Amino acid sequence: MQSVQQAPARRIYTPSAPIWCPGCGDFGVLASLKKSLSDLGIASKDTVIVGGIGCSGSIHNNLECYGIHSLHGRLLPTAVGVKLANPKLTVIAAGGDGDGYAIGVGHFIHTLKRNPSIVYIVMQNGTYGLTKGQPSPTAALGYEGNKDIPFDAVQTALSIFSTTFIARGFSGNQTQLTELLKGALNHANSNKGLGFLEVLSPCVTYNDTYKQWREQVYNLDAEKGYDRTSRPAALTRTMQLLDEGKIPTGLIYEGTTPSLEANTLTQTEPIALQDITSPSNIPRYEELLKDFR
Amino acid sequence: MATQLEQAPNIKTELRNQISIMIGGQGGDGTLTVVNLLGRIFRDYGLNVYDARNVLSRIRGGHADGVIRASCDEIYSTGDEIDTLVAFDEEAVTLVLNDLAPDATIIFDSSKGPLAQGLHRAFTVYEAPLGNMAASALRRNIFKNTIAFAILGRILGFEDEVLVQVLKARYARRGQEALESNLKALNIGLDYATKSIHSSPYKLKRGTNSGKILSTGNEATAFGFLVGGGRFFVGYPITPATDIMEWLAPRLPKFGGVVKQAEDELAVINMGIGAAYAGARVMVATSGPGQSLMTEGVGHAGESEVPIVVVECQRVGPSTGEPTRNEQSDINHIVYGSHGEFPRLVVAPGTASECFKMSADALNLAEKYQLPVFILLDQALCQNSESVQPFDIKAVTIDRGKLLSEESISKIPLYKRYQYSEDGISPRSIPSLEGGQSQVTGNEHNEFGLVSVDKSNRLRMMSKRMKKVELAKSDLPRGNNFGPRDAKIGVIGIGSTYGPIIESMAQLQERGTKVRFHQLRTVFPLLEDDLKEFMQGLEGIFVVENNYQGQLARMIKSVTADNERIVNITKFDGTSFKPIEITNAISSVLSKSSDAASFKLGV
Repeated sequence: MQSVQQAPARRIYTPSAPIWCPGCGDFGVLASLKKSLSDLGIASKDTVIVGGIGCSGSIHNNLECYGIHSLHGRLLPTAVGVKLANPKLTVIAAGGDGDGYAIGVGHFIHTLKRNPSIVYIVMQNGTYGLTKGQPSPTAALGYEGNKDIPFDAVQTALSIFSTTFIARGFSGNQTQLTELLKGALNHANSNKGLGFLEVLSPCVTYNDTYKQWREQVYNLDAEKGYDRTSRPAALTRTMQLLDEGKIPTGLIYEGTTPSLEANTLTQTEPIALQDITSPSNIPRYEELLKDFR
Repeated sequence: MATQLEQAPNIKTELRNQISIMIGGQGGDGTLTVVNLLGRIFRDYGLNVYDARNVLSRIRGGHADGVIRASCDEIYSTGDEIDTLVAFDEEAVTLVLNDLAPDATIIFDSSKGPLAQGLHRAFTVYEAPLGNMAASALRRNIFKNTIAFAILGRILGFEDEVLVQVLKARYARRGQEALESNLKALNIGLDYATKSIHSSPYKLKRGTNSGKILSTGNEATAFGFLVGGGRFFVGYPITPATDIMEWLAPRLPKFGGVVKQAEDELAVINMGIGAAYAGARVMVATSGPGQSLMTEGVGHAGESEVPIVVVECQRVGPSTGEPTRNEQSDINHIVYGSHGEFPRLVVAPGTASECFKMSADALNLAEKYQLPVFILLDQALCQNSESVQPFDIKAVTIDRGKLLSEESISKIPLYKRYQYSEDGISPRSIPSLEGGQSQVTGNEHNEFGLVSVDKSNRLRMMSKRMKKVELAKSDLPRGNNFGPRDAKIGVIGIGSTYGPIIESMAQLQERGTKVRFHQLRTVFPLLEDDLKEFMQGLEGIFVVENNYQGQLARMIKSVTADNERIVNITKFDGTSFKPIEITNAISSVLSKSSDAASFKLGV
């Protein structure tokens, strides 16, 4: 198998260099993503990265695989469409918090509900960097005059009963981030459902939160006795941590709910690769004429 | 099951070729059930059928009616007049008073009192307390529709056994109790008819049709999608498009396909784009409000060259408008709606048969030209049923255009998703094919699909995409022409105006006006050669459409630069044209030698 890292014959495009500012948290996400795909031996030809709009949403241009750049906020429905058409693909939706939690929040909620076996990486930085620093849904109170309480996607995901993998990483902790990303990929590729990974990924230009977040992150993976398979326990503990001014990270919750594909697809052969010209369909179509009263 | 039926009285009958029946009342009165029952009988009688439903956008209450017309001859609309009316309340009479034939028969539910004297005119009125009869015998008012059906059956001269059989067929799957109650209601109606109806004006000739099917445009569109290899449908409930999703939901999964109801039309179009990008044949369907939400997504499909079919079932707009009513006012939106410019194709079938074929063909167009293809429908075409020949399944072909296989990619030295090409169409890879890895994006991009703002690249990419529209012209459905070649008067219309125009042509012919009709089937790009050929030698051209502004006429004028001969006949009261309305409008313009460029019905 040919992995994203080691494509030998250059018969495809050369990825673009990232558009990000030096020091941007998104570099950490890109590095983790490359390493995870390589370590897990996921073939480049079977990988689809669905990018959102914003600085982070250009990440699909920076790897050698299949990529589709969606409209602002629409990366999740796009990714779900790809997955349902070909469930054998590794589908990774990647975008920012403005994309996912503001303009696309409706899809976020419904994707959590549906539990498709894809990975969703949100690079969360509390700001709209590409448009020069307006407050995003996760912006702290007071940031650029923000008066809206910040949105917490992990708590939201915990409150939806069909979620199966909820994690938060920090681009300042590459080791943990790569492990979480591998976990999310393994989760999705075992058809268990959505691997949701929010990454605290600071915008060094408009909202440099590295120092603050370094102090606030709290690694639940390292906490003895934390039961990530219990939704009430996860909700209680994360609420406590938030009250203490901490930001919980790690694999916060892991559960089991049938995936969207398990609920939806009626055959294992991907629709996208089906032979739709097969003459064996014709008698079956003719049978349907009987339904016309 | 033994059902004792009394013999119908000896009825003096007039053999008729055709009849038009309306069942009117409040939503929930079961009016459409009667229409369905009649439809089955007419089909078994070998007659052609056309029916239309007029309901409000609410589950119960409010005036609702259904019209069904049956004929030995080909029919294309509900016609001009109603011969028989079943009215469950007085409103059902007053609303259609002027549409009733002078010698019409009315079956009136007099549970709340007799029909006002002023409404009797020269009609034959049978008054029976249908609701009360049902309530006292069966404890439920709702069975009044079956009582009415029985009386109607006698008036139409159907044999009682035919009525019994059709009830059995309909209620067989709904349990013994439902069937027995309905059979009781039928007998109550027949008893009433035996006592009260001593002559009937109607007896229908049997037709010679066999094997025809009844289909709505929506059902035909859905079926065409399936047969055309469509395997991924995503939608959001919206009148009058929902039937397409409802038809596919139990059937498409049996072919391995997916019918997904999404959270909104933003998700619909983007989920569709994702599935199409991955290689499935995709359709989405909506009406105006949903289309407004999809407009950004359709542009995205155009820019990123993802093949997708979008069905737009027009209804009265804007905003919520009149969700259950007919209009053709989204033509501009479908043809021009966009920020920026992108290639698209817009086809418009006029009959259920065309819906089937053009739906399958739209999938080919989308994949061959790698762009969004609209199928423009309207509420009347979507939801009215008509008798048609069984759909020609074997006539459907599948052409996937420049879709690559792994083998064909292996021969390409360096794959570029948006490779410049002579015809503007680049070979298309889909995920999972080795060597076809690439970027697909709504950003302006270079040949690899990577973001580019290079001026010369922009010029080449825009030209590459836009020229596909011109290229597609040879593949797009040309208009259907009807009527004598030597006619000096022409009519142009799209969608559901097809039927009323065809019937109006015969009426005009009777008045001594020969008419030719060009049923336009490609709305964008307009096939100007096709139009100009039709328009040649005509002295007057009437563009008939259901909207205020004359959107189609304006488009035709813009490509033909013909402002002199074109007269616009528009109707925008929420209902379809009746043939006679078109006939009268054309006659009045011609007789006045008026140079009015537009004729707005009812204004």
